[in-house]
Amino acid sequence: MSFFKRYQTIITALILLFISVVVFTLTLKSPKSEMVIFRKIVLETIAPVEGAINAAFEYVGGLWERYIFLVGLEKENRELTSRLSALKEELNSYREINLEYERLRKYIGLEKDIDYPTIAAKVVGRNRPSVFKTILINRGTKDGVSIDCPVVAAEGIAGRVIEVSWNVSKVLLLVDYNSNIDALIQRSRVQGILQGDREGECDLKYVERSEEVKVGDVVVSSGLAGIFPKGLLLGRVRNVQKEKSGLFQRIKVSTEVDVTKLEEMLVILKEKGGSG
Amino acid sequence: MIYYLLLPFFSIVLLALQTSLFDLLFLGKIGVEISLVLVVYAGFKLDMVKGGILSFVLGFFLDCITSVVPGLFVFIYLFIFFISKIASFRIYAEGILFIMGFTFLCALAEGAIIVVVYKTLYGINIFHDMSSIFLPQALVVGIISPALFSLFNRLEVFINAGETKSSDRL
Repeated sequence: MSFFKRYQTIITALILLFISVVVFTLTLKSPKSEMVIFRKIVLETIAPVEGAINAAFEYVGGLWERYIFLVGLEKENRELTSRLSALKEELNSYREINLEYERLRKYIGLEKDIDYPTIAAKVVGRNRPSVFKTILINRGTKDGVSIDCPVVAAEGIAGRVIEVSWNVSKVLLLVDYNSNIDALIQRSRVQGILQGDREGECDLKYVERSEEVKVGDVVVSSGLAGIFPKGLLLGRVRNVQKEKSGLFQRIKVSTEVDVTKLEEMLVILKEKGGSG
Repeated sequence: MIYYLLLPFFSIVLLALQTSLFDLLFLGKIGVEISLVLVVYAGFKLDMVKGGILSFVLGFFLDCITSVVPGLFVFIYLFIFFISKIASFRIYAEGILFIMGFTFLCALAEGAIIVVVYKTLYGINIFHDMSSIFLPQALVVGIISPALFSLFNRLEVFINAGETKSSDRL
């Protein structure tokens, strides 16, 4: 006991360092392993907390815009303005419903195009600006979602599920550095690997110098890696560079999906039986 | 005991605020990692057990929420905690400029570790993100760190008072 007390600092430091190294190496060895229970609990807890905080701040923001700026005006003016703002809000809610309807209509069209069972999902957590481009969605194993399920928006592929808990999943967006999607140039059927680069941009890698690629060419999923169905839209070629040396071209692709504005999306379920 | 009971709850709320409120305040342009400032604070002000566990929990939670490389933030936060702890044996973190400078360097170190991990493990060069993501983040975190140190100090006093009261009752 006295030994532990004497060297408490060093022992604690060593234990913590050992745990961190073990956690790190274990996840590197088996990156696709099912999430341990603690990770699931954290994901399940953070989603509603984040949602509540966002809702609270949106409410306060609305309150600020609607009322606080009006303090000090004449009573009639205040009444009229508040009536106007109420009407505006009503109109805005109709617009919002209309926009949502339009978006959902696109998804219904998309759902018909995809041969696999799908389920609609909403973004419940967004990552701050960071090297990691991930989002949290409100669907999990209970809905039939599993690791590597593709996630598509109305405009095309958004990413794939990398972690899943009961009601929440973490999606790796296609613009993340770790995202690699087997892709095709639609026009010429040239194949390559689409790797995330930064917001709104990807690199199409391993396309030989001899292949013809033009700016504006459409890039779609090849379906070869077995994760994404064939023919889903990924983006358009923005820039092509052929350097004097080297086997491959440098191809920049602008993604069709604006990952910063994702709200709803479809998760393509691998197996039939999801509730969607 | 209160400290350990509050720790998971407090960490979740802090990280949720970090990913939602500060994203709104900075219009989604700069990520403000308050959790990193807390880890630096823990290195200077908390003992090894309390601070180490706090850093571990924060790193683990952040890994679960945002990271693509599980275990990375546990490693980074413990590393920064130990660096801060070692520095605390020789320096008192009282001066505003020192706190700002040290936190700035820790935030940059975090970025450097991520760059190195990406390069060595995945062969991906993200060095250009140092100037576009990590440097602005480190500057903002450095600037607000003295205010956060003061806030964490008050919170620590409050929790300690609670612990003293509960132990008095026993």
